[in-house]
Amino acid sequence: MDVSQYLEIFIDETREHLQSLNEQILVLEREPENVDTINEIFRAAHSLKGMAGTMGYKRMQRLTHDMENVFSEIRNGKMKASPKLVDVLFKGLDALEQYLDVIVNSGDEGTEDNEDIIKALNEILNEGLGAVSAPAEAAAATPAAPVAAAAATEAVAESGVKPVKLAEHEQSAIAKALSENLNAFTMTVYIQETCILKAARAFLVFKALEELGTVIHSEPSVQDIEDERFEFDFTVVLLTDKDAETAKKKVENVSEIKMACVEAIRPEAVASATVEEAKEDKETKSVAQKESAAPAASAQQKTTGKPVVNRSVRVDIDKLDDLMNLVSELIIAKNGLVSINTTDVAGLRESGFNEQIEYLERITTNLHQSVMKTRMVPIENVVSRFPRMIRDISKKLDKKMELYMSGEETELDRTVIDEIGDPLMHMLRNAADHGLESNEERIKAGKPEVGSIFLNAYQDGNNVVIEVRDDGKGVDVEKIKKKALEKGTITPEQAATMTEKEAIDLLFRPSFSTAEKISDLSGRGVGLDVVKSKIEALGGDVEAKTVLGAGTTFIVRLPLTLAIIQALMVELGNEKYAIPLGSIQTIEDVLPSDIKYIQTKEVIHLRGNVIPLIRLRKILDVPADDVTSESLTVVIVAKGDRLAGLVVDNLIGQQEIVIKSIGKYINNNKMIGGATILGDGEVALILDANAIV
Amino acid sequence: MTENVSSKEAKQYIVVQLGNEQYGIDIQYVDNIVRTQKITRVPKAQEYFNGVINLRGEIVPVMSLRVKFELEPDTFTNKTRILILKFEPQAAVGVIVDEVREVVTLDADSIEKVSYDPSDEKSLYLSGIGKHNDGLISLLNIAGIIVEKEKEA
Repeated sequence: MDVSQYLEIFIDETREHLQSLNEQILVLEREPENVDTINEIFRAAHSLKGMAGTMGYKRMQRLTHDMENVFSEIRNGKMKASPKLVDVLFKGLDALEQYLDVIVNSGDEGTEDNEDIIKALNEILNEGLGAVSAPAEAAAATPAAPVAAAAATEAVAESGVKPVKLAEHEQSAIAKALSENLNAFTMTVYIQETCILKAARAFLVFKALEELGTVIHSEPSVQDIEDERFEFDFTVVLLTDKDAETAKKKVENVSEIKMACVEAIRPEAVASATVEEAKEDKETKSVAQKESAAPAASAQQKTTGKPVVNRSVRVDIDKLDDLMNLVSELIIAKNGLVSINTTDVAGLRESGFNEQIEYLERITTNLHQSVMKTRMVPIENVVSRFPRMIRDISKKLDKKMELYMSGEETELDRTVIDEIGDPLMHMLRNAADHGLESNEERIKAGKPEVGSIFLNAYQDGNNVVIEVRDDGKGVDVEKIKKKALEKGTITPEQAATMTEKEAIDLLFRPSFSTAEKISDLSGRGVGLDVVKSKIEALGGDVEAKTVLGAGTTFIVRLPLTLAIIQALMVELGNEKYAIPLGSIQTIEDVLPSDIKYIQTKEVIHLRGNVIPLIRLRKILDVPADDVTSESLTVVIVAKGDRLAGLVVDNLIGQQEIVIKSIGKYINNNKMIGGATILGDGEVALILDANAIV
Repeated sequence: MTENVSSKEAKQYIVVQLGNEQYGIDIQYVDNIVRTQKITRVPKAQEYFNGVINLRGEIVPVMSLRVKFELEPDTFTNKTRILILKFEPQAAVGVIVDEVREVVTLDADSIEKVSYDPSDEKSLYLSGIGKHNDGLISLLNIAGIIVEKEKEA
């Protein structure tokens, strides 16, 4: 079978499953008893195996198969998720990820067998099961095989009745019924495999049974049966005053029912059910049921699940409908303009024209928003792999730490999401490695032994802010200064006059690391400067705040979208420039007499702030024919806490602009963040306030 | 290009006028020839970059060959054109020329190699001298002209 057309889907879904496995195993490590988690893991592993098998990736299938065996044992309560096991499982996941990477690159899974992982898994499996006999294990393995359904049918062939798991209240109901001389049966109904409307048949069976007595339990659940989420059989527990034969006949009378197998429930079975249940369950419980439950569950999971995005963006159909609507409106608006053009009455033409323009404007604004929305992706896609990473670091450094994340649903533009992963990872590693003290130091300092790292994301106006905070030892400003002096980055005079903030900014200089020893994780000097340049390339900025002894916070500020922004258009001589509205604080009229001088630099004093003035004409070399007016128009821009006043000739107004690159050949001194095309076709340059301040 | 395959050695060049010299530009790099339009100055850019223009919604940097070749600055006339060169797919560059003359086909025999002198930056700009009819055409080495900036960086 040619499966290449499914390769993309396979890759997407495998990523999804691996991510979910990573997350769930982390939970499992913390709460080994969490049944939901175990089920989730089992489902993910199972689908993964099935998918790998379908695509013909034998090695991948084998590894997942062995992992699944372990999960299945855990699920059945035969094994505990020991730390050792979790380690091996993570290794297995890493190996699977490697397979996937190889597949992405070459379409083939490669030749790595990962025997050691498989061996380790099997060892654990054997150890864990210990006394449990071999057949049990075999039984656990068979169901996983592709022929599971058939095998399972065979397994239960002797009695034809599949055992069911009864809840306590159901057991007591059975006990009560038995004491009242009613009969209790477990009945497994097999539907013909050719049957098309399984749910309908099942419904008729239920109806027939209800005439006889009460159905107190069914496997799969009634809901699942109604939704046709079962294979070709289901099992019910029936309380009735009729005998087994009557019930059997009644059910088999329903057409397209292959057979019904009935078994009486004995009183003692109910009494000892809790004890026996596990074992019985283990040995004969059909996996067909599990299998049928699995797709159902994963289907449910998918609807509630989070969108996971790789190279493509999954777009909500509603969003597309919105877009479609807007486009049709756009066409209507165009037609409106055409018809106005043919109107003879000049006055009517004028007013209608303006009306249509307004209409058009409304549509384009909405259109812009809608398109942007389709490009937005929750940062969850990036951050969801961090808990696992922190866990690994924690093990590696032998430092106890915990990662707390919030605001994962915050949305960012696709292009930003793609780029932000590495810098964030770097900062987290930094926090884990340099930020947090060792456990002993923490105890000595009177802090909780386990270090905390926080990753918070939230939207702030037109920006998205991501904070990486640790409650570690903080950055020693004096130490940085000393280091910078040693390296010759700053002069002693500079060191003396440096503010704390300036000193911390030194961290972002190239090859500046305060770590005494270089570790595998960080400290090689390729660090925060790379983070900074990457974030700045995205149009954002990063700053650090620290309190000695209490921790460090890195604050990353990113623009919501890259392509279209609101900007203030200003005029300098004959040239027009755009200043992104996001960085503008206020616009002031300043009298020349208000300009003060500090170290021959022009500043103004504004509401308690001393703000340096920047003559844009001068730094942009605008051909001078100086205008002398009684007051200066000053645009106050901010970069973090720093303010600066940009002196401009004229304000043109606010405008929505599309950012375009000015190409790589032309020398860009960073002051120019790009260019945009104005309504009249003219090009205006966009000033990057961050670079100017 | 197909023509190149059939007669391997022959290449087509667009002949442009700069001052009183004729230059040839390999036609495979020429994406477009446009009339002059308003050029937006880019502050602090290289001296030979006049700025950027709007080419049907794309921002394209425009350089002056005259400045680059240290001739007297451009005077914009009715004949002035901007040749849009695409040396790499996603990066277009415009060059300003006094006039676009014609398209000529030159085969290898009528192209004289020029000696390459590493110390002379300007020798990078030429890939050869073409002989056409009576005149000589300096064939421009587009890579040398455009990519130079990257070497500096």
